[in-house]
Amino acid sequence: MELYKFLPQTNCKKCGKTCMAFALELLQGKVKISDCTPLIEETKYKEKYEALKELLGSEEGIEKELHIDIDEDLCDGCGICVTCCPVNARYCPPTLSGKAPDVPHDKHQLFEVKDGKCVLLNLEHCRRLEADGRERECHVCEIYCPREAIKILYI
Amino acid sequence: MERIPCTGCSLLCDDVLIGTDGIFIDKIYGACLKGKERFDQLAAKNRLTSPMIRKNGKLENVSWDVALERIKQILTDSSKPLLYGFSTSSCEAQLKGITLARKISGFIDSNSIICQGKALNVAKETGMTLTTLTEIINKTDLIILWGSNAAESIPRLLNKILFSRGKFRMTGREIKTIIIIDPVKTASFGVMQIRDVALHIEHGKDLELIRVLKEECCKEGNFPEKEVAGIDKEEFKRLLLNLVGAENGVIFVGQGILRTQSDDNVIRELLELVQIINARQEKGRMSLALLGGHYNMVGFEQVALSITGKNHSLQFSDNKLIETKDTIITKIEKDDFDSSIIVGTDPISHFPFSLSKNMASKPIICIDNRKSATSDIADVILPSAITGIECDGLAYRFDHVPIQLKKVLNPPSGVSTDEEILNQIIQKLDVS
Repeated sequence: MELYKFLPQTNCKKCGKTCMAFALELLQGKVKISDCTPLIEETKYKEKYEALKELLGSEEGIEKELHIDIDEDLCDGCGICVTCCPVNARYCPPTLSGKAPDVPHDKHQLFEVKDGKCVLLNLEHCRRLEADGRERECHVCEIYCPREAIKILYI
Repeated sequence: MERIPCTGCSLLCDDVLIGTDGIFIDKIYGACLKGKERFDQLAAKNRLTSPMIRKNGKLENVSWDVALERIKQILTDSSKPLLYGFSTSSCEAQLKGITLARKISGFIDSNSIICQGKALNVAKETGMTLTTLTEIINKTDLIILWGSNAAESIPRLLNKILFSRGKFRMTGREIKTIIIIDPVKTASFGVMQIRDVALHIEHGKDLELIRVLKEECCKEGNFPEKEVAGIDKEEFKRLLLNLVGAENGVIFVGQGILRTQSDDNVIRELLELVQIINARQEKGRMSLALLGGHYNMVGFEQVALSITGKNHSLQFSDNKLIETKDTIITKIEKDDFDSSIIVGTDPISHFPFSLSKNMASKPIICIDNRKSATSDIADVILPSAITGIECDGLAYRFDHVPIQLKKVLNPPSGVSTDEEILNQIIQKLDVS
């Protein structure tokens, strides 16, 4: 509701939804402030835009990208990240019983152990980018790594 | 690409994917760092490729015949030879090793004597509840790591037992509780959640903890008033409730218990504790798993047990097995040997200096695939193929399940398998 006050409240639907729905999604991080075109283009909303930017902090102001950083020196290839990653579990059934997934890998697969070290394959299918709601806050790979080699970063 | 069993450690992961170009292994998927090192051994700098004998204090490359002749000379001169190692050979080679020991009236022992062999010896008297890896994956709900840093010594173990989802449930980590009992905060503690129990036991107090647990398991509802072995009473209560309440629990016994205490009492009381818990259990059971290092340590126990009825420390004389209380350690300590055959291990760097000094003073025949401290001071070196990559065979996993190893590459020219080498020595001794 706090965010709704700073939106144009005209329900112009230029972003495809009502202002209330936009505020809700803004809170979940699904849309960015720049998606609301009247807020930026029309000068009368300038004050609101600045206030909104301040309210959401730098997170929304500057675009931040998800990075999963794997420290090669620490990793010993135990494969816990491969097994516990929910995306891997869904698309590579062998990982359900702790086995190494097939090669060549599935296009959704996130982690793979190659030459005794963990390798990040494609980040775009990570739950932090694709899932909804609480699943978006998934960080199992980071918390379960016994060597603390995996770090989830927003840079 | 094919799936082969990895011989990096006693877990013998059978899901490692490798690709070869006919000479080397160029792709390794799914293996941990330990397994990868094992595959890298193929082209390592310290690989032995030619038989060597010591001449005027220097090692020289010679032909197989010359080396075998020298071995024959050493063995005929010695009346009390030692045979040691065999935990990184196939069961077939271990069988040949026992045959050779019988032939030369020697004393044969494997690495398990300083590892899990002691526990298996005790288990012969008291009995032991074993389990298999598949059962652990599918059924277990309580995992206890006692004196073991599995996350670093057997990297993929926690991955397989703790994070995998079983066939009968779709949940994995969520329903499994892990209890780690260790005086040191090791890397294994990194996988713990709020529900799990981390117990920092005082060093060397395992026996005290087991005794109190045994007492408490027998009576209902009472908990000790003060701390036990450095564990406070709340933590102890959680441990006890987990032990008694678990449906299918597994206790992984690591080197922390197996090696440090000199008496067998710790293992004996631990086995009794498991029996007490199982007697109360209405469904499911508590079981034990012994964690070893070398991949075929259990294999030697199994082979020796099936042939001689004794699982390690076999003393032969005049073609017969002699009852003895000696182990490889007491043998070397007492200087009760006059030559040694070392197969696939490195006792000179593993043993304390007082023992390795004794060992180095006698002729050493070393059969191994890589240079080590032992091969550096050996009198004769025979290069062997890497079992599990360059030759096939049978190996026993830590849970006493046999796994067939595969051959994917040919060994370098002039290199034989352990089994073949031991066979050649036996044949050489036959020719008089």
